[in-house]
Amino acid sequence: MLGHLARRCLEAAATLAVLVTLTFCLAHLAGGSAARSILGPHASPEALKSLNALLHQGGPPGAQYSFWWNKLLHGDLGQSAITNEDVAVRIGNAAGPTLALYTLGLGSAALLATALGLLHGVFYRRPIGRVCSALEIALYVTPGFFIAAVLSLVFSIWLPVLPAGGAGDPGQNAADMRHLVLPAVSVMLLASPGLARVFAQSVDAELSRDYVRTARARGLGWLAILFRHVMPNAARPLVTLLGLSLPVIFSGDVVVESAFDYPGLGRLLSQSALGHDYPVLLGIVLLIGVATIIGNLAADIALALLDPRARYV
Amino acid sequence: MSSEATSNKRQKFFGAFFRKITEFFFEKQKTFASWHWIRHAGLPMLLALFCFLGPYVWRLSPTADDAAAIAAPAWAHPAGTDDLGRDELARLMRGGAETLSVAVPAAVVAVLLGAGYGMLAGFAPAVVGRMLMCLLDALLALPSLVVLLCGAAMLPPGPVTDCGLIAITAWFSLARLVRSEIVALRDRDFAHAARQLGAGPWHMAYVHYVPNISRLIAVNAALILGDAILSLSSLGFLGLGPAESWGSMLRSGLAVIGRNAWWLILPPGLLIAGSLYAASAAGEAIAEGRAA
Repeated sequence: MLGHLARRCLEAAATLAVLVTLTFCLAHLAGGSAARSILGPHASPEALKSLNALLHQGGPPGAQYSFWWNKLLHGDLGQSAITNEDVAVRIGNAAGPTLALYTLGLGSAALLATALGLLHGVFYRRPIGRVCSALEIALYVTPGFFIAAVLSLVFSIWLPVLPAGGAGDPGQNAADMRHLVLPAVSVMLLASPGLARVFAQSVDAELSRDYVRTARARGLGWLAILFRHVMPNAARPLVTLLGLSLPVIFSGDVVVESAFDYPGLGRLLSQSALGHDYPVLLGIVLLIGVATIIGNLAADIALALLDPRARYV
Repeated sequence: MSSEATSNKRQKFFGAFFRKITEFFFEKQKTFASWHWIRHAGLPMLLALFCFLGPYVWRLSPTADDAAAIAAPAWAHPAGTDDLGRDELARLMRGGAETLSVAVPAAVVAVLLGAGYGMLAGFAPAVVGRMLMCLLDALLALPSLVVLLCGAAMLPPGPVTDCGLIAITAWFSLARLVRSEIVALRDRDFAHAARQLGAGPWHMAYVHYVPNISRLIAVNAALILGDAILSLSSLGFLGLGPAESWGSMLRSGLAVIGRNAWWLILPPGLLIAGSLYAASAAGEAIAEGRAA
């Protein structure tokens, strides 16, 4: 168990190093323009040169690379090219709303996926299961921004009950929590169909295993078998899938936040891409990469705890 | 009396007629191998016809802004008009053509990249293969949209940039699948036998590995095409990428959502969802061996 853990941590560290190197390359692909985008198109060459020296650009690549690591390890992500704020501060301000959205959206997605997947798995290839399957496919092929657009069309234009967008201040009071509802429902509808489908397949596979027949022969009721024996076993692939689908969910989150003008990381990302604000862009890239690596590591460890066989793969 | 007899006769005649028709469609179709093919290729073909032949049938210009702005669907403009008074149906056709003409080449490049990288990692010695996979893990750790946004911000805009960016973000999962398939094939008896007989790596690739992974690649080509369409539409929705794709049409429709212009929001979104469904259904059909 410890050896498996150590190897996975080592792999994660290597992946992290590759990621940091990748962002370094990207930063220097856009590098020459950092000073130019701060000083504007009419800056003199001397000013550009001195700012470049200030930003530690120019000089031997090896020194720049170690400077990049040194900066990152001290938590310094640089300044925004547009507002001149600390990138870490901007990202920190945007991370709170995104975290609230993720907690609510993914939590409800897990509930919906379990319920839908269980129904689909129990009635696999029967009429009820086929209806569930059709629902999953319909949600699966609908892009996040279209879900967001339809939700705001229905719930803030046709039945004006919820705000179509804007900030609010999640967690402050009840009126502001309403801003969170539609984005969270979008994330839920975005994240659940894939999970539900995999859960249904594994529920169906587990139901035809021998231990189910044995439990049935011992006289256990269907509900007891389903909830005590089948569900824990069927939930295993779900853990891996949730870890692996975090990047995909974040991609959806970016468009959902932009559609609702929700002040989170996704909107910050698309705004800084549109405004060519490279320091902020790279800061978010690093943050998301690290979060995904840690998420995958956590999913692996959880799987190893749930299933002893996974420790030896 | 006589009228009753004739109606009875007519009933018999039509009964037999309908039975013949239903027999033709519901019994004989099992012998038509092509029927299944049409069932699975029908939606992709319809979408392609709509985008590329549609403009020759519906001849209004997508740029002419002489109609009333934000007008609901009517006979003159079956899909309504947008906020500049342009015909929405013509714009949908051109948006589809723009989307597909970037997404299809991007998917082709992505399939070649993914299959090539995966085979390389599968052929290479174990240490190199591990390293290549570690690099892939780092690339997979980034959400594709993040990479797309970075690239679209840093590179000069244009269809070649869009195409290249989407190709670069779409191939990772295929490379992973191809590599694990090659590693599994490498240890099969026939592979050992072929290598004992002196087959070199090129021969192994062409004669033994490619035919064995061709279905995997075909299935994933369809899925990658779906991913490419989704990425391009997301990019358009965020205000980057091609100027007139379905995604950017949805963006401009959402900007005037206060005018209750559902005809600017639902059709582009449904067309994107429809093409994603077509791609995934095609992938599933190939996986089950009913088409291709």
